[in-house]
Amino acid sequence: MASRASLGSRALQATRRQVSVASFQRRGLAAAASGSFQYETGDSSGIKYASRDLPGPTTTLTVVAKAGTRYQPLPGLSDVLEKFAFKSTTKRSSLRITRESELLGGDLSAYHSRENLVLRAKFLREDLPYFTELLGEIISKTRYTTHELDEEVVRVLKLEQKGLLASPSSLALNSVHAIAFHRGLGEPLHPTSSTPISKYLDTRTIAEFSRAAYARSNIAVVANGASHSELSKWVGEFFTDAGNGSQVFDLSSPSSQYYGGEERIAHNSGNVMVLGFPGSSSFTAGSSFKPEISVLAALLGGESSIKWSPGFSLLSRAAKDFPQAHVSTQHAAYSDAGLLYVTISGDASHVAKACSNVVEALKKVAAGDVAEEDIKKATALAKFKALEAGQQTDAGLEATGSGLITQGKAFQIDEIGAAIDKVTGEKVKAAAKQLLDSKASVSAVGDLFILPYASEIGLTV
Amino acid sequence: MSAPSLAPYILKRPWLKRWMVPFANWYADAAGYRRLGLRADDLIPEENDTVQLALKRLSPKESYDRVFRLRRAFQCSLAHQLLPLEEQTKPEEDYKYLSPIIAEIEAELKERADLESVIVERKK
Repeated sequence: MASRASLGSRALQATRRQVSVASFQRRGLAAAASGSFQYETGDSSGIKYASRDLPGPTTTLTVVAKAGTRYQPLPGLSDVLEKFAFKSTTKRSSLRITRESELLGGDLSAYHSRENLVLRAKFLREDLPYFTELLGEIISKTRYTTHELDEEVVRVLKLEQKGLLASPSSLALNSVHAIAFHRGLGEPLHPTSSTPISKYLDTRTIAEFSRAAYARSNIAVVANGASHSELSKWVGEFFTDAGNGSQVFDLSSPSSQYYGGEERIAHNSGNVMVLGFPGSSSFTAGSSFKPEISVLAALLGGESSIKWSPGFSLLSRAAKDFPQAHVSTQHAAYSDAGLLYVTISGDASHVAKACSNVVEALKKVAAGDVAEEDIKKATALAKFKALEAGQQTDAGLEATGSGLITQGKAFQIDEIGAAIDKVTGEKVKAAAKQLLDSKASVSAVGDLFILPYASEIGLTV
Repeated sequence: MSAPSLAPYILKRPWLKRWMVPFANWYADAAGYRRLGLRADDLIPEENDTVQLALKRLSPKESYDRVFRLRRAFQCSLAHQLLPLEEQTKPEEDYKYLSPIIAEIEAELKERADLESVIVERKK
């Protein structure tokens, strides 16, 4: 048998021989000659837009509106407005919109986060004019009829509420946001089925909210894989009907303040503990962006990025004796605040024991007891994660849109990478110390008989 | 369901409209449903999916009033009575509250049928 090394080199030779001239001439994804990774921005009579011309046959076009749950004036409005996307307009019915986009092979979707409402269309590059017109029509000409609300939107909303109620992790995440930020960012992402939303929802209110949400100054059009000149031409042509805002609703939210506290919710299907701490705002916010927090999140970690190994992260090592508890650390960055949170889910007794180990590990980092090596690994992981998120179209598009609306600044991933590179070990330790100095936000969902209180695991709330 | 109607043809021609409107008013009044407190749209047969859906789309107030009018009319019919003059439907109250919704639903259905059978020709 041939040795592995010789096979490898032979395989290599074979591939070398097969490389044809044609494949050299085709442009790869990151070829420097074509397109750009940086967003180009522009302004068309008050509507901000940005595009980056990634080489490739498809385009993703989004309208990002600063109308997520943080800015909704009444509960459930962001959710309903999201579900009203691509419903009938004064020019065509929702069925027609669906069939036309099917014919062109497009994919339409809408979602909302705590800060933004995103309408998204993915399609073949040459269909840019059609989908730009469609999105322009959706934001200015949707009819918001009562029968669509009753027959379609409310039904979907109720199904979603059931899904939310069945998911302890989403409940815990909503709860920890509510504890940390109270109103504004603390508004639940989706209202639970016990929230009295029906008295707030009627088509007139929704239409008024849509005028405020899709006002010129409140939206940004962001495209991936479209040339800037094309996009500016079509945005200029099809977004002329976008409104100037609403007299009734003013979509503003006071700047976020961190509170902290504890909430416990009994639940029968799953156990989740979320330990939240004040984090850093997103990159596009400017001065309050603290890259060391994302390094700290990577350092704490909990999930391994390679198979069959607990990985280097501190929390995965802390919880390795409790295989039925799953630990992960996330950092949710918003425009003026952030939340660093550790989620521990799984079997109740394992979650309870893992929790105290997690807090001990946190205290160790805060005391400065962490290897320089680990911080280097964490910096590399944080940089990779940030750059990857910026490269993936979805997150990058939303971040760019919200950056454009609030600061007039696009999400430039190179600068984030540079910012993370500058993080030093001291900064990370200082950030960790600050975490434990402030009050924690602790949310427990599941078997409350077993899940610990914050004071039992050594956190101050 | 909406019945075939000559009304659009007549309304487009002012001279014909001048002739027909007094006759139409007389006919609607002579039909007698107004004496029982009904409206013309109350007489649309409701035993089909289209009208059932349209009835669901009525506002709660319209829907309640419709049921009230129908029950009052049944009662009058059983008792072989007409309503007192002040309770009878006045011509200005006899407006279309249901047929626009029916027309909208029919347009939706027609559009769906058209799109189901459409043959797409791409520009070469």
